[in-house]
Amino acid sequence: MANPKLQALWNHPAGPKTIHFWAPTFKWGLTIANILDSAKPPEKLSYPQQSALASTGLIWARYSAVITPKNWNLLSVSFAMSVTAMYQLSRKIQHDLSTKNQEVAIEEE
Amino acid sequence: MASFRAFLNSPVGPKTTHFWGPVANWGFVAAGLADMNKPPEMISGNMTAAMCVYSALFMRFAWMVQPRNYLLLACHVSNETVQLYQLSRWARGQGYLAPKKDEAATE
Repeated sequence: MANPKLQALWNHPAGPKTIHFWAPTFKWGLTIANILDSAKPPEKLSYPQQSALASTGLIWARYSAVITPKNWNLLSVSFAMSVTAMYQLSRKIQHDLSTKNQEVAIEEE
Repeated sequence: MASFRAFLNSPVGPKTTHFWGPVANWGFVAAGLADMNKPPEMISGNMTAAMCVYSALFMRFAWMVQPRNYLLLACHVSNETVQLYQLSRWARGQGYLAPKKDEAATE
């Protein structure tokens, strides 16, 4: 009755009946939360948190390729998470640099 | 010395990515601890709530993955604790949890 390919996916060792599926799927929630936080002013971003997100994302992209079962879902979400965190870091750094320049300019006047 | 050497050469030891992945995730715990004394307005409700669900799921993942990864498990247990605490600080700051002062006043 069910398409054999769909059945194969359903029963996959990293498929929807296993934590190997849901844990990485939820990690997209973390990535989306970070994307939603792009609307927040940069003062409210946390350097430690965004740095942690950026670096763990990259290391986990590597990790996902060597565990059993190999987990492409985890690889892609880890990489995406790292990219969003690097974007947030760049926002905050740019903001901090520009406010520092403004302060210096005001002092010089 | 022998047990240390055994650790160095183990399938989840420091020569493998099974070690460094979880080590990197301790960054979340460190970041959470660093942010503990920040004012609650700086806490992201989205991110903290997501982290709480994330660490709960990954505790299970660490247990089920091959090879079983106790370092990762320990990391996510710690992160869950830290993030739940931060979430409570955020919620209190938003007025979701009753402030303790009111309970003392009504006694």
